[in-house]
Amino acid sequence: MMKLIKSLIIAVVLSIIGLTSWEMFWRSQGIYPTIDGNDALWAVVRNKVDNLTKDDVILMGSSRVHFDIQLDEWQKITGKRPIQLASGGCSPLPFFHDIVNNSNFTGIVLVGVTPGLFFSTTNPKTQPWERPQSKVDHFHNRTYAQRLNHQLSLPLQRSLTFLNDDDGVDGMRLKALLKKVKIDDRVINPMPPFHNFSVISEDRNVRMKRRMETDTAYANTVKAVWSFFMSGDGSPPDKDATMAFFLEDLQKFKAKGGQVILVRCPSNDKYRDTETKVTPRETFWDELISQANVNAYHFEDYDQLQNLNIPEWSHLSAGDADFFTTELLKIMINDNALTNHKIN
Amino acid sequence: MLFNSLSFVLFLFIVLILYYAKIFSWANKKRMLLLASYIFYGMWNPPLVILLWISTVVDWTAGNKLAVEDNLNKRKLWLLLSMFVNLGFLAFFKYGDFLLENFITLANAAGFEYQPYQMDIILPMGISFYTFQTMSYTIDMYYKKTKPARTFLDFALYVTFFPQLVAGPIVRAKELISQFYEPKKATVNQFIWGLFLLTLGLFQKVVLADTLLSSTADTVFKPGQILNFWDAWTGTLAFSGQIFFDFAGYSTCAIGIALMLGIILPDNFRYPYASLGFSDLWKRWHISLSSWLKDYLYIPLGGNRHGITRMYAALMITMLLGGLWHGAAWTFMVWGGLHGTYLILERLQRQYLPFEITKWNGMFLAFTTFTCVNITWVFFRAREFETAWNMIRSMFYLNSDGTKVLQTFDIIKVLTLISVLFVTHWFMRSTSVKEVSLKTSPVVLGIAWSIMFFLIAIAQGSGEQFIYFQF
Repeated sequence: MMKLIKSLIIAVVLSIIGLTSWEMFWRSQGIYPTIDGNDALWAVVRNKVDNLTKDDVILMGSSRVHFDIQLDEWQKITGKRPIQLASGGCSPLPFFHDIVNNSNFTGIVLVGVTPGLFFSTTNPKTQPWERPQSKVDHFHNRTYAQRLNHQLSLPLQRSLTFLNDDDGVDGMRLKALLKKVKIDDRVINPMPPFHNFSVISEDRNVRMKRRMETDTAYANTVKAVWSFFMSGDGSPPDKDATMAFFLEDLQKFKAKGGQVILVRCPSNDKYRDTETKVTPRETFWDELISQANVNAYHFEDYDQLQNLNIPEWSHLSAGDADFFTTELLKIMINDNALTNHKIN
Repeated sequence: MLFNSLSFVLFLFIVLILYYAKIFSWANKKRMLLLASYIFYGMWNPPLVILLWISTVVDWTAGNKLAVEDNLNKRKLWLLLSMFVNLGFLAFFKYGDFLLENFITLANAAGFEYQPYQMDIILPMGISFYTFQTMSYTIDMYYKKTKPARTFLDFALYVTFFPQLVAGPIVRAKELISQFYEPKKATVNQFIWGLFLLTLGLFQKVVLADTLLSSTADTVFKPGQILNFWDAWTGTLAFSGQIFFDFAGYSTCAIGIALMLGIILPDNFRYPYASLGFSDLWKRWHISLSSWLKDYLYIPLGGNRHGITRMYAALMITMLLGGLWHGAAWTFMVWGGLHGTYLILERLQRQYLPFEITKWNGMFLAFTTFTCVNITWVFFRAREFETAWNMIRSMFYLNSDGTKVLQTFDIIKVLTLISVLFVTHWFMRSTSVKEVSLKTSPVVLGIAWSIMFFLIAIAQGSGEQFIYFQF
């Protein structure tokens, strides 16, 4: 009996020493605990939708709305904290479709229009659609065990760096670490290493990492990834199908009493050039807003939204995201597109 | 609820506290275990607990009637009721879509345009395990091989006991129910050993199966690829290791958790990849299912009592249905058919080309068996015949300019791990982890235990489901 107790004590002591050392190693690299922006977190935020009132706002879209609209600034100005459902690499159409068809929400939905994603596709087998749909499906199909797992994991995620679930070059899990081991180029992966350049909070507010502003080489790694995506032939946008899909849901939502605001967040340099070439404003954005007949805001139309700090051509730095949020809100409130609950 | 999840850690902690706190009588501890088992199952999909209840009530009633009924026709009717309900559940929930798809194909081939509404039936987790377990009770009662459970509580707990509810071992009534009759409590040694087995099982699942092998298998078995020889073999070996570590890991966890409660569950795996032939394999792989199929299918079909031809037919039918037990797809039937063929060929070899197994040819025989088993895994893992066929062609050098999809490191990683797996199985053939642990210094055991725990913690995984849950 003593033999097994001895083994157990040794195992416990060595495990504690090993995991503490592992945690300290990552912290010594300047990495600290973060929350995982996974489907479970999205589902928790999505779950709040049915308790919202007509005065509430839901944000949806792809990474630009996620980075560029800051919830703290929004709450400071309007007195209400919006629900953030935007997500990177996602078409907003499946999100909007879910809210229109599977919830009783009749407030305001702010939809971010990143042209390359909004007008990309309605094909459920492609990434811009699969990604958001998997979140929606997870929300509707999650088991009680999965909900509990997520709640139990949050305190651990807040405390332990090595639990970070990044899958790419920044990954710390054993699987991600092994993936980085490379002996030769038996299979060539043309995609440059993609660093995670955001930090997410429990209400899914995203801020760009400070390092993106201070470390040009780091920001350049992200630019290299965007350049890689832009260098491929890629599928052409499917404007007709995407607009028809969105407009059908929009009519339903309006009929329920809901209100939609469309926002085109800033981009610059090579990214903007490609967007102008592939999805020109006149034939995409302008046509969308003329058919949607809703309040719509394009960053190009406002002097105060020009020349913001976009370290990797596509998303605003944390400081300028605060500024953008503030200025956009002023414009929208001035336009009566939004109500300032602090005043009213 | 999955063993490799935080919710299970909390669940087990609460169960153990309630079990060992001196606040409940033994009967109430069993009620607590039963309720905990329903919660364990219901945390996945609460309404499907009703199926468990129906299965429990039907087999409890049938068992009680069989215990007192002497009229053979009435006894048969009670047995048929149990089989109708349990196999009916399986037919509807597991094979409903498959049967419908094949019916449509047949109808269309015959010239009838038939397109019914797709049913999209949800597959209740572990249905193949608990239905087989409850049926074994009623069949044993029919043949008077076991005594009826003393109380409904004992029987309900036998059907639902959470450590082995969703992926076995499929335990016979006489092995488990009788353990519930007297108060059970793990000794300190049993409790710690149970904890060690739980760690070992999680290590097999989280680290070896999910972290080191699954992505290689997933990459290689993607449909629409014609692969290079090395990639095809590496992917197949990766799946071979993945399914062993996944399923044996679950069984090891189940045995360990039960042991922490003072309940003994039987072994489900005994180093199957060092089997000397296929009869040996089925005494070592998923033992509780293969013995179930032998006792309740192969022997009733005649076994070896009615001549060679009938025996071969019984073997083949048993293996084909064993394949179908794993999943509603023709690829599983082929998997079962290949194993049936292997078993028949082995019996022919024993009859016409007998040879003595020595330590020199033994390893070669084990390696040959392992290689043939790997061929069958291709059909088990591939979702379509086209994928399986392309893989087999690549593995036999018939796709000379096949695509490379794996990095050199992945190939080295998988080949090393599977070689270690094979050699370990070879040396562990006639022993057990328990026996080895008794010969190992406590310091070495403690270090090995901490390494496993450390690797589980840094691998953590995203709570991937055990492969056998879908069967």
